[in-house]
Amino acid sequence: MSLNEAKTAEIYRIMVRIRTFENAVRRLTKEGKIPARFGLYTGQEAVATGVSIHLRKGDQIGSTHRPLGHLIAKGCDLNKLMAELMGKESGFNHGKAGPYHTFDPSVGALGANGIVGGSVPMTAGYALANQLKGERNIAVSYFGEGGSNQGGVQETLNLAACWQLPIVFVCENSSPEVQRMLGHEIDYPQLSIDNISLRAKNYGMPGSTHTGWDAADVYKAAGKAIRRARIGKGPTLLEFKVHQLEGNLEGRLEANEKERQWDPIDLLKQMIPQKLDEQIKADEAAKIQIAIDFGLRSPEPASEQAYSCVFKEAD
Amino acid sequence: MPLREISFGQALNEAHISEMERDPKVIVFGENVSSPWREATRGLKERFGRERVRDAPITETAFIGAGVGAAIAGYRPVVELMLVDFGLVAMDQILNQFAKSAYMSGGVISVPMTLRVLTGAGTSSGATHSESLHGLFAHMPGLKVVVPSNPYDAKGLLISSIRDPNPKIFMEHRLLYPVKGQVPEETFEVPLGVANLVREGKDITVIATSLMVQEAMKAADELRGRVSVEVIDPRTLVPLDEEAIVNSVKKTGHLVVVDEDYLHYGFSGEVVALVAEKALKSLEAPPIRVATPNVPLPFSPKLEKELLPSKEKIVAAINRAVA
Repeated sequence: MSLNEAKTAEIYRIMVRIRTFENAVRRLTKEGKIPARFGLYTGQEAVATGVSIHLRKGDQIGSTHRPLGHLIAKGCDLNKLMAELMGKESGFNHGKAGPYHTFDPSVGALGANGIVGGSVPMTAGYALANQLKGERNIAVSYFGEGGSNQGGVQETLNLAACWQLPIVFVCENSSPEVQRMLGHEIDYPQLSIDNISLRAKNYGMPGSTHTGWDAADVYKAAGKAIRRARIGKGPTLLEFKVHQLEGNLEGRLEANEKERQWDPIDLLKQMIPQKLDEQIKADEAAKIQIAIDFGLRSPEPASEQAYSCVFKEAD
Repeated sequence: MPLREISFGQALNEAHISEMERDPKVIVFGENVSSPWREATRGLKERFGRERVRDAPITETAFIGAGVGAAIAGYRPVVELMLVDFGLVAMDQILNQFAKSAYMSGGVISVPMTLRVLTGAGTSSGATHSESLHGLFAHMPGLKVVVPSNPYDAKGLLISSIRDPNPKIFMEHRLLYPVKGQVPEETFEVPLGVANLVREGKDITVIATSLMVQEAMKAADELRGRVSVEVIDPRTLVPLDEEAIVNSVKKTGHLVVVDEDYLHYGFSGEVVALVAEKALKSLEAPPIRVATPNVPLPFSPKLEKELLPSKEKIVAAINRAVA
């Protein structure tokens, strides 16, 4: 399955949406309108977009502590997302979640997650529910190269293969050359293999490694794995090499010249007519301005809301 | 010993250097411990080499368990956990293996490992990056729980912890890192199990730990001239300096406990139970607990502030207790 013109433009538009939204988040955090700094997705946009373009509303994703790309690509409402990041009452989770724990069940975005690898076992549960319901929905589980080592992730790969769950594991490997953690070059590697997808075989599922900054490569690989899961043939482990261009929590915050060659948006832009590119950027900027205005205008939650939702009232 | 002013983070760094120089069996590992951005372990790799100072993958179960094993096999690991909430993925290794192994062995092994853990709310980081959880660990038999509140104690308690032959969890509130205080340059120990009388008073006893010692002191300052507040920092929850707490309540007749950890089944209840058992007749009014309600900590700064103990809440509690 290769990219046609219309799909290319659609993917490009969503990638621009994510980048524009995150640039706004970066600025609003500096201005104190968003109360805490957190990991951004800059440089990884092609992965969430190239995956989610194949997903239906009834499919679910489990995300990470770098979640905005995953959430936006899955179709989360930008206004409610921005309001949540500002800790406002009108946010998806009324200011309780923030970036790390955002849930939007209306589009199957079942959780950003503050714990590295924390969402992966839960996402197998979404896939289990899909299998039981028989509606041919699938789940996508996102994690990074750091998360890939967690016991819970390894256990879930095994479980998903044993139960032939309709799930696609998407590992975004953001240390493709030098092994880093939060921007720091670590003194021992955290992986002793070059490709995390090598592990797939040991658990009994197909696995492959792809170029995460090439939207066409992501689109093709994800399409194949998602189709496979949807027709009941079980899980796949996809690894996408990516470069985080900005937004590391420690260390430098600006991409350098060399890193710009890995910018998925710059790369795909070459396929987009200039007029359309300008149109897309203007449209998306306008949408995001609406989201910012919505968030800023929204009230803070009332203090007593701090105590709500600990337990649910009986139905 | 001559004193000079350094931060809480620098004090922790000095404690590591002191013990790594003294004992070649002291080794350090955890996530990003060789990073220049992590103050407590900054420069250790350069000074002591990468055999003894290792970055671990994000695999809490594996590296905490490896620390337990190395301790049993004769080393004195200082293992860092980036945030206490992340330790919850490794509860078997912490609560079963780390805490219980020495006892289960009938004393034929020991586990002299120190698990250093960053904790604490107040940064709008949400429910999985903000907890205290010292009550959870103090509940488990076999773990010593160390909770420093200032740079002097941070250095002296960490040195004592590393030298102690038992499993210790050493809990550092993130917001204390930049706090400065007078600390000796030399190596010194602050013994585990000895409370610090932070301020002497006669009307009411306030027991507070970690960052909450600062809030308690601010409350005591505000009430100066009206209520004479005695502030006690136990410094270690296990072992707990029961005598210091009981004797203070016998003197003042009033008690407020301040705790950033959750209210239910926690440290604040433990202190009140202790006083009920050992000094009930000295109490002239019911004790009051100022702790975080049992609610997962929300992201919104407004909601987070609503839940956390503060100077204002402590002042109100003291006024109510002595009314």
